[in-house]
Parts: sequence; structure tokens; C-alpha cells
Amino acid sequence: MLLLAALDGLAYGSLIFLVAVGLSLIFGVLGIINVAHGSFYAIGAYVAAAGVLAMGAMGLPAWLAFPFLLVAAALVGTVVGGVVEIVLLRRVYGKEEVLQLIVTFAVFMILEDAQKVVFGVQPYFANAPMNWLGTVDVFGIYYTKYQLILMPLVALAVLVGLRFFLRRTSFGRAIVAVTQDREAATAMGIDAAKVYLITFIIGASLAALGGALASATTSLTPGIGAGTLVLSFAVAATAGLGRIEGAAVAALLIGLGRSVAVYFAPEFDVLIPYLIMMLVLLVRPQGLFSTVQTRKV
Amino acid sequence: MLEIKGLSAEIEGVQVLRRANLSLAEGATVALIGRNGAGKTSLLRAIMGFMKVTEGAISFDGRPLDSVKAHLRPRLGIGYAPEDRRLFSSFSIEENIRLPAEVMKLPAAEVARRLESIYAVLPELAELRHRPAAGLSGGQGKMAALARALMVGSRVILLDEPFQGLAPVLANRYAAALRTLRDSHPDIALLITESNPSLLRSFAEKAYAIERGEVSETALAASSLAAAGLH
Repeated sequence: MLLLAALDGLAYGSLIFLVAVGLSLIFGVLGIINVAHGSFYAIGAYVAAAGVLAMGAMGLPAWLAFPFLLVAAALVGTVVGGVVEIVLLRRVYGKEEVLQLIVTFAVFMILEDAQKVVFGVQPYFANAPMNWLGTVDVFGIYYTKYQLILMPLVALAVLVGLRFFLRRTSFGRAIVAVTQDREAATAMGIDAAKVYLITFIIGASLAALGGALASATTSLTPGIGAGTLVLSFAVAATAGLGRIEGAAVAALLIGLGRSVAVYFAPEFDVLIPYLIMMLVLLVRPQGLFSTVQTRKV
Repeated sequence: MLEIKGLSAEIEGVQVLRRANLSLAEGATVALIGRNGAGKTSLLRAIMGFMKVTEGAISFDGRPLDSVKAHLRPRLGIGYAPEDRRLFSSFSIEENIRLPAEVMKLPAAEVARRLESIYAVLPELAELRHRPAAGLSGGQGKMAALARALMVGSRVILLDEPFQGLAPVLANRYAAALRTLRDSHPDIALLITESNPSLLRSFAEKAYAIERGEVSETALAASSLAAAGLH
């Protein structure tokens, strides 16, 4: 029973990790708590579902949906994320946090309505990619390979890829330098404005990727962005904002905690992530993996 | 080469530079002397493009710098070592020194040549090159910041209070490194700020005094500095 809960939690944790790590990366580099992050998740999900449905209607092979999910996420992150950063966020860097919160909250509200205008309020369900991959039998219970294998693999690839990108590539090191000291990094010739933009696009794309992957497993209705945003906040806060590996551990912890609750105490299912966050923050207010007053990618 | 004319700048509405004039010729060593809060750091930050300039101009090789974005100024060959070192703590010392070369995509051979010449000026850093920058002492950190400025500063190096907080032995060692730099790279201009002019008397050939954002040319002789109330 516990193993089954663990397998459920793995898929759930992977999804939340993708969204939370984007949120955490954006906070770590730009210093902004991005409430609009949930919108990138929702728009990624809607664009992916609409695309997969359209591809099905055109009779295209089902496997094409997988590269499409990636393309949809990158597209949403680049276009929507890019516009939000260039048009709005640029004006509020270094300003009071309350102003940044209000601006990103306003973006969230606008994008919520924009989703309703573009995609309507009817549920979207595009599970073709999940069905195409088939199922796997674990002790007599059938799991979809999509949730049990693909989603954790994507999350793992993102974690390893991000670590490699930030530590081993030239642009990754520029991001780390700007995070530590924007002015000193600029004096080294680093274009901090470009670093901010690209970091925001990467973070937004990761949220959109979470949404695109989730779109095959659930029906999409207005409001999915808000729920995921709050959960990813819980993960990022539990880990300590700005910590990438920490977000992975916290996402797994919260994913597992929630699945165990579903099996053993379903009435606490919704409460568990926040209970874990509260307990962690009571003992370590800076989060599991942060040291006080440091900010790292 | 570097000309500052009538430069005024402010921080959050408070004027910190008042019609400052300063001239730095190729290969010159110039001292900028002033008390804490006089505007030394502001002047260097204005050269690097980090200040809100309200009037006046800075030019480099006759070209106005105000149209050059801050991150493009190092590419002109301007290196900057801030007072508080500001090394990137998660990188090793050599990664810190290499960073500007990496950003500017200098060819590997050129980076190797510059590193070799940096380690010739600051041999103690060669031994520490793989150590994390976070674990450096104050003096070592100042030297690493100088090395990083040297990687990019092929024309001008701006040193903000390099002797500040250094124990006498380390201050002497740092001064010796600057003399070696002077001999090995006679074409690089140095602009050094300091609150204690006696430290710069041995190698600066020209000095400016700065007081409440106003810059005036001065002599480095002890008597004139005393007259200016700076010693």
C-alpha cells in the first residue's frame, strides 16, 4: 500500500517540481515572487491540449504529441513570459515587494480572463499521449507509463539539465554571477537585463511544461493555474526560495505526503502539503535548504 | 584618454558629484583622495555606468561614454575592482578571474596569455587559484579583485580603496604588486581612490582631492594634503 502511494506521489511530485523550480529560479535570480507563474502553467496546459486535440483531428500520428508538448511549453514561456518581463516586470525590479506582488497578481488576473476568452470555460481533455504510452502492472494495479515513467523522467532531466546549465555553461555562470551581485557582474561585461529576461523565460517555460505534461492526465477547467501556483509556493517555501535541488526534495516530500494521505486519510489530502510546509517553516523559517540571508540559484 | 568634464550625479535625489573634472592619460597613475562619503566610489561607479548622471560628460578615447551601456564598458578595456571586493563566492578564484574573458568570448590563447601575466603580477594567487572565493582572507580577496579587473582592463583599471582594511604587511604586498604591474604594463592607466594619501605617494604621479563631490587637482606632497585637510 505504501509503495503504491509512493508511486502516485512520484508522478505528482514531478509535476509540482517542474512548476516550483521555475518559480524558485525566477525568485533566486530576479528577486521577484511571481504570482503570474500559475498562469504560465495553465496556458501551457491549454495550448498543449488544444494542439493535441487539433493534431488528433488532423489524423497526425499520436507520438507527434510528445515533441509538441515541449514546443508548446517553450513557445508559451518565450512569448507570454517574454512579453510580461519586457513590458511589466522590468519596471519594478528593485522596487518595494508589495508593488511587485501587485503587478504579478494583476498579470495573473488578466491572463486568467484571457484564457477564458481564448479557450472558453468548457473542460478540455486531451489524453491521447497518455493512452498512447500504455500502462504498466505494479502488484496487480495498472499505472499509466506516462505518469509513472515519463513524468518523473522529465522532472529528473530538468533537474540534471538545470544543474549542468548553471554550473558548466558560460551563460549559466553569468546567471549565477548576476544572482550574487548584479553590479559586479555588469562590471564583468555581463548584460544583466538579458540574463533576467532569459531566466524569466526559462522559469515560465518550466511552468508551461508542467502544464503541458499535466494536460494529458486531467481535464482542464478555468482556475487550474491558481491551485498549482499555491502548491508550488508551498514547495518553494518548504525548500527555501531559490534552491533548485531543494525544490526537487520538497516536491517529492509534498507529493509523497499527499499520496499517503489519499490512501490513509483522504480527508486530509488537500491539507497535507500546507501542513508539511507549516511544520518545516516552524522549525526552519528559511526553508529546508536555505541558509539565512543568502540567495543562491 | 579618459576625460571627465563637469560631471554631476545623484543617488535617490541626493547630489553626490558636483561638476567633477578629472583627466587620466594613457599609462598614468592617478590618485583620487578623499574622506569616506566624499564621492570617490560614486565617481568610479559613474565611469562604469552605475550612476544617474545629471550633467556633464565622460569620454573615453574621445568617444562619449554615456551612450555606452554599462555592460559594454568593460569591453573598451576598463577594469574595475570595487572596494568591497565583490567576488562571486560560489566560484573558485580562477573562475572569478576568467569570468569577464568568458563573457567577452576571448580566444583561449588570449585568456591563457592574460592569466599568465596576471599571475606574474600576483604570484600568490597562482597557488590559490582553485580555492573557493568565499574562503579568502581580506587581503587575498583584494588581490583576486585586482586580478579580475586586470583580465578585462587592458586600457584602464579603476581601484576603489584597495588598501582599505589591509594589515600593514598585506598593504605593502599589495603596493608591491601595483609597482610590478606598473613596470610590466606601462600602457595601462590606473585610477586609485584612497582616504589615506601616504599609501599612494610612492607611485601615483598625479592626484585629485575629492570633498563633498567636488574634485580638485592636488599635490601628493604631505604638506599640501595637510593644507587641504586630508592628511
